[in-house]
Amino acid sequence: MDLLCVGLNHRTAPVDVREKLCFSREELREALPALRSGAFSECVLVSTCNRTEAYAVSPSGEPRPERLRDFLVDFKGARQAARPGHFYALRSGEAAKHLFELASGLDSMVLGDVQILGQVKDAFSLAAELSTSGLLLNRLFQTAFHVGKRSRAETGIGEGAVSVSFAAAELAAKIFERLDQKRVLLIGAGETGELTGRHLAGRGVRDLLITNRTRGKAEEVAGKLGGTAVDFDALHTHLRRADIVISSVSAPDYVLRAEDVRRAMGERERDRGPLFLIDIGVPRNIDPLADEVGNVFLHDIDALQRIVDQNLDKRTREAAKVRTIVEEELAAFTRWHLSLAAGPTIRELTELFEEIRRSEVEKHAGRFGERDRELLDVVTRRVLGRILHAPITGLKNGGNGTDEETLAKISAVRTLFGLDRGGER
Amino acid sequence: MNHAITALNALLPLLYLATVAAYARAFFSASPVAKTAKTPLLIAALSVHLTYLLARTVFLGHPPITSLPEILSVIAFSISLAYFLLEYWTKVKGTGCFILGLPLLFQLASSLLIVNRTDVDPVLKSRLLGIHVSGALLGYAALAIAAVYGFLYLMLYHEIKSSRLGVVYERLPSLEVLERLSFISTATGFFFLTVAIAVGMAWLARAFPGHSYVDPKLIGTALIWLVYGAGLGLREAAGWYGKKFAVLSILGFALALLSMTVINLFFRGFHNFS
Repeated sequence: MDLLCVGLNHRTAPVDVREKLCFSREELREALPALRSGAFSECVLVSTCNRTEAYAVSPSGEPRPERLRDFLVDFKGARQAARPGHFYALRSGEAAKHLFELASGLDSMVLGDVQILGQVKDAFSLAAELSTSGLLLNRLFQTAFHVGKRSRAETGIGEGAVSVSFAAAELAAKIFERLDQKRVLLIGAGETGELTGRHLAGRGVRDLLITNRTRGKAEEVAGKLGGTAVDFDALHTHLRRADIVISSVSAPDYVLRAEDVRRAMGERERDRGPLFLIDIGVPRNIDPLADEVGNVFLHDIDALQRIVDQNLDKRTREAAKVRTIVEEELAAFTRWHLSLAAGPTIRELTELFEEIRRSEVEKHAGRFGERDRELLDVVTRRVLGRILHAPITGLKNGGNGTDEETLAKISAVRTLFGLDRGGER
Repeated sequence: MNHAITALNALLPLLYLATVAAYARAFFSASPVAKTAKTPLLIAALSVHLTYLLARTVFLGHPPITSLPEILSVIAFSISLAYFLLEYWTKVKGTGCFILGLPLLFQLASSLLIVNRTDVDPVLKSRLLGIHVSGALLGYAALAIAAVYGFLYLMLYHEIKSSRLGVVYERLPSLEVLERLSFISTATGFFFLTVAIAVGMAWLARAFPGHSYVDPKLIGTALIWLVYGAGLGLREAAGWYGKKFAVLSILGFALALLSMTVINLFFRGFHNFS
């Protein structure tokens, strides 16, 4: 019995190949049972925009990674695009390690990305629902979730904004006390600008105003983000009322001059809180001199990128700690996996009973005469032998410890007699 | 009873040290133990301190405002109490280690220098004077806290402006919160200072009829009062908000410290209690 992982990701395959091998949820529902009825006794499929991976257990004989690969390619009809070189194939410990690294964010496109753990959880719960995962994969994925959880709790691998839009939203939270009183003005329809607006809306700002030279575009974005479209001509009026301005316009000149900002700050109607200007445009939309105006905080795309880079550096430094966690959990998983062989289990079971027998005989030996003691020893040994005969034969006859049924038996025996607890002691 | 007072006197700096250590550990290494222990430790220090000050008043027969070490201890108590109230009202609990270092220093100096005396100038045993001194001490305590928040504001301001985000950025509350804390403290300090000046004038007229008002300490205090008053006014009227106000709270307090030191060192006015 062996564990197998076959897949491709953003490092091994270009996006046009990855998208051809991307499984929808419906396709997964169809593929998982089909894969299991083939040569594999257990399987889980993880498919996101950056990767498609199959985890499977082959019950007997030589594991055949190419069969797993062919299944993926044929199911998606992607013979044309996908080449064997796009795939990686990992076995046993290597496969387990890979999944643990995946769950901890070490293998993500952006180091420490938090999304991946949720995606792995979804993939596993679908397999569990369809009963295509069994003893081995259940334990493997549960351990992987534990790795993910420990990495977040014990290291800083998931900390700090690692995208420009998120960095801007985090900065806003460090400038303002509460965002639910604040008004955001989004100028232009650039993608990053829209994303920043979305993050801020997610943090519960009071108002989101969207303006664009083309009114229709502003309305479109407003519809998507749940904001209000306003006239571009009234930009300066809205500037006076805004607390946060996001600008992502492609224009050769400044959309906001330092003078505009200075005047707006002087004419503000409401409280005199800070004004946070986020300039995502290239070339820049806001005159850098606006940063000199009192209580104005201007961050352009380079400043935000600097924050992202610092956070990525921090995450890279944390990666070593995460690797230690992966190694620890891998060692524990391997111990458990090895213990599932029939031989060691029979030996441990016999040792456990013999230990109990010996200690009881020693405790009561004083009540017996010299002769009787020998007899006592022989009799108890026989009793023990007869008690253990049936279970040991059952374990031995299960074959070479390859099929699901034997594994379940071994696992049950180990749990019932507390063998794993004893092993750790 | 003197033994009990001496024992409390030795215990207080240790309690403050433990409190500051807990606040610092909670801020810099996010230790959960320190996080739960810090506020109870502060409450313990405050309770012991209050007991100590009351014991001095009752058993030595005068409020502890007749010598520099006594005053230092009351300042330490005022700053801790003001910080505790601020923490209680605003629920901002992360910044204590920056504030509570001051009471630790003041109490340490006081504990080392203090003498248990019962014979003091009868002119200092007046209720009006008690109010005057309490007001002045609470006022300066609040202004000290305002200066610390002004300083924290500038640190965070600098990190945000330069896009270099360190531990200050991670653990401090937002700029708006720091600014508000600094403002509340300044306004409170200004209020108490005003009370102290008014009551002080009234007491002066009664205790020393015909005393000249051209006293260096009086002039210094009036100057400090004017600076803070102008700052608060400009914040309302001319938008001296944010960085400018933070700078004012620091400069104002530096001026207060300077005026006290210079005047105590070089002039011998009637504020000399020795």
